[in-house]
Amino acid sequence: MRKLLTGNEAVVEGIIEAGVEVVSGYPGTPSTEVILTLLPLVKELGIHIEWSVNEKVAAEIAAGAAWAGKRALTTMKMSGVNVAADSLASIAYSGCTGGLVIFVADDPGAHAGMPEQDSRYYAKSLVIPMLDLASQQECLDYVKLALEISEKIGGPIFLRSTTEVSHTASNIETGKKLKLEKKEAHFERNIVKYTKASSAWCMAQHQEALNRLALALKIADNYVTESGIKVNKTHFEPDSPYGVIYAGAVEGNFREALKIYQLKISWLKIGMVHPLPEERIKEFLAKVDRVLILEELDPIIEKEVFRLASPGDGEKKVKILGKLDHLLPLTGNYSFRQVKGALEVLLDTQLEVDPDPQLLQRAKELEVKRPTSFCVGCPHRGTYFALNQAIKNLKYKKGEIIITGDIGCTILGMNQPFESCWTEVAMGASIGIAQGFKWAGIKKPVVATIGDSTFFHAGIPPLINAVYQQVPLTVIILDNGWTAMTGFEENPGTIPLKEVSRTRVDIAEVCRGCGVKKVNTIDPYRPEEAIKAIMESLEYPEVSVIVSRRECALQAKRREIRLPQRKVDIEKCTGCRICLNTLACPAMVFHPKEENNKPYMEITADCFGCGLCAFTCPTGAIEVIKDGE
Amino acid sequence: MENNFYLIGVGGQGVISLGQILADYALKKGERVKFFKEVGMAQRGGPAHSEVRMGEVFGSRIPPLSADLVVVMELAEGLKTLELVKPGGMVILNKKKIYPLDLMVHPEKYPKEAEIAYLFEEAGAKLFWIDAGEIANEVGLPLAENIVLLGVITYLASLDKEIILTVLKENIPYEVEKNMAAFDRGYKIAEENKAEKEKGEA
Ligand SMILES: Cc1ncc(C[n+]2csc(CCOP(=O)(O)OP(=O)(O)O)c2C)c(N)n1
Ligand code: SF4
Ligand code: SF4
Repeated sequence: MRKLLTGNEAVVEGIIEAGVEVVSGYPGTPSTEVILTLLPLVKELGIHIEWSVNEKVAAEIAAGAAWAGKRALTTMKMSGVNVAADSLASIAYSGCTGGLVIFVADDPGAHAGMPEQDSRYYAKSLVIPMLDLASQQECLDYVKLALEISEKIGGPIFLRSTTEVSHTASNIETGKKLKLEKKEAHFERNIVKYTKASSAWCMAQHQEALNRLALALKIADNYVTESGIKVNKTHFEPDSPYGVIYAGAVEGNFREALKIYQLKISWLKIGMVHPLPEERIKEFLAKVDRVLILEELDPIIEKEVFRLASPGDGEKKVKILGKLDHLLPLTGNYSFRQVKGALEVLLDTQLEVDPDPQLLQRAKELEVKRPTSFCVGCPHRGTYFALNQAIKNLKYKKGEIIITGDIGCTILGMNQPFESCWTEVAMGASIGIAQGFKWAGIKKPVVATIGDSTFFHAGIPPLINAVYQQVPLTVIILDNGWTAMTGFEENPGTIPLKEVSRTRVDIAEVCRGCGVKKVNTIDPYRPEEAIKAIMESLEYPEVSVIVSRRECALQAKRREIRLPQRKVDIEKCTGCRICLNTLACPAMVFHPKEENNKPYMEITADCFGCGLCAFTCPTGAIEVIKDGE
Repeated sequence: MENNFYLIGVGGQGVISLGQILADYALKKGERVKFFKEVGMAQRGGPAHSEVRMGEVFGSRIPPLSADLVVVMELAEGLKTLELVKPGGMVILNKKKIYPLDLMVHPEKYPKEAEIAYLFEEAGAKLFWIDAGEIANEVGLPLAENIVLLGVITYLASLDKEIILTVLKENIPYEVEKNMAAFDRGYKIAEENKAEKEKGEA
């Protein structure tokens, strides 16, 4: 059947067709939609699907299931592999019996922020084979293929996507649902394979993992998928001295260029990027004089091509173009123009004129910058407002108190008008970095702000560390009940929805359990009390925690929670813009002075009724709209 | 036949759902489709865009000078599409201006309509101006700004109206009457505009 599916939705189709029984993951752009799409189908499919507390736990759950013989898949963004890597290394050494797929989505171009890191290195260092996705059809086909390889070699396999592949929708052909024989869960005790406390066992396991790599390549190299895709594919153009070796998302732009300019070029597509098909590459190099390597991020394939092309006696020399000669950048996802430009160098010819640079320059100058800010009614607005106010009340100047931020919507506190957060590192790192500032000798209070999901993910160990080392620190946990930034996933603090069975974990209790003596819960919609509590915390001599609790406004709205909206009494409004300058709520519109009227603020129908603006207005011009008004 | 649509605006305007309708349309027509969506921080007032490519296409993204139709839902955002419009291609300019914080106080810094128009004309584009927000308000459904534009697109790109309307109803099953009214208004305005131009030329 033909369907319009994004890459991630196609992965879901693959999961269903392949009969995967356990799916775990932690949200992270651009991988999130796999589980988001699967979750509503949980009853219908009768399988286990979960948002785990972090990627390491997710990977362990999938591995456990695969060790018991089931097909399992775990999802994460590239940053998540850092977190899961410790476990993945050992899991890879041990291998598995059921199919085990690690779906990782890289983000060349950092569309969602975070380091652009290339997860193909992990395939190498963790000794796990890796398939690299180039199209939406492959997203479906390769899930099935990956499971097949995993089971045949007896070890885990990476399935790597990138933003462009994951977030583009395309018409794809769905396949047949596999008929797998029903197996009871079964795990055999085998400490030689599943433990690591012996150097001989570890080295034997390492060797086995290496053997599995070779086997994986053997299966993949000539594999043709259900819909007819060849994993590694060589195309020779008779009489052309030019060649391109490529992998991943660049396929789209490359094939587009072949079509538009009717190019006659030989090409080699690599679908399994670890291990690389060395024989195939050598064969290819033997038939071309100039070769361009197209791969986003690091020159991993390119370096191997250099190695494989080193001419022995009497062999010809191939000119290799790519990143090492600075033709293409190490950063970002390749645009069509970059691919076209590189092809022009390969072919030593101009393919087409570019758009008028002067026109583009002028347009660029006129562009309007849109700094992102909190949504209308966002509880984080109230927390940062109260924090800034508390700092001011304690007579510190703006910019005097270091506030370490963390990942998620909470980091938007770095932007105008709050300009609170100073740093953003990695999940949970706000609490660790803050302690370093203290030990370095920063005398004034140091504050860490962190979201609920991020706290559960990696914020608890550094908090325990601060308790044990007796570091005076204010940790503000912005508990909006959801993992909001990535699309509103549940986390252990989420109040369970009616249709699911979960045990909610209370963050304030967790902190007390970690040994924090001063834990205060505030409501960011009540600035007076919030400011007072934060002031107390800033002056407290040990680590203290503020749990700022109020549901993400977008989720609250979706759940039909309605609060009384506000309006501006134009008579009383002086147009001073204090509300706008301190809160920047997108529901506010400022009307500058015009000939016949004075400047004034307007609050639009988007208002969620958090009430903060009324608190900031010096003339009391902002009032509640009463029923029926 | 290849057809490239580039839709741009800011979060909340319906740029992505408009793209989804066009992509579903292409699928129904049996065409090859690539539909790319930039979601990013759109929810929080950031820019949003989507690209729909139909026909013998491979890449997710529209190459420079290849967009047959550019739909600018927020005026200044349109400046980002200058390198994409195909000479002779069509640009629909919606008069909506959404000010970020600093421009709210200094609206005079927002780029002038005339300058934006000039740049597009220099790039060889044909322009179609509309105030889709105003029309959506008149219809009684401010959210239907993108559907007014769908009407314009359907006429200007000669899409099959029956199929578009079917897809529209499938994608937005609520407020059907108002959405239909929004669509019709957009479609008619495009139709009348063409008739007027032809009269002028005659
Ligand atoms: C290791 C890692 N995993 C996942 C992500 C993706 N990510 C970015 S923000 C975020 C959610 C943060 O949620 P929360 O802490 O609750 O803050 P909120 O967005 O709800 O304010 C996630 C999962 C990441 N950046 N790094
Ligand atoms: S999504 Fe929720 S938490 Fe994130 S900025 Fe919007 S209201 Fe705040
Ligand atoms: S009460 Fe004020 S700050 Fe809160 S959502 Fe409404 S306009 Fe925005």
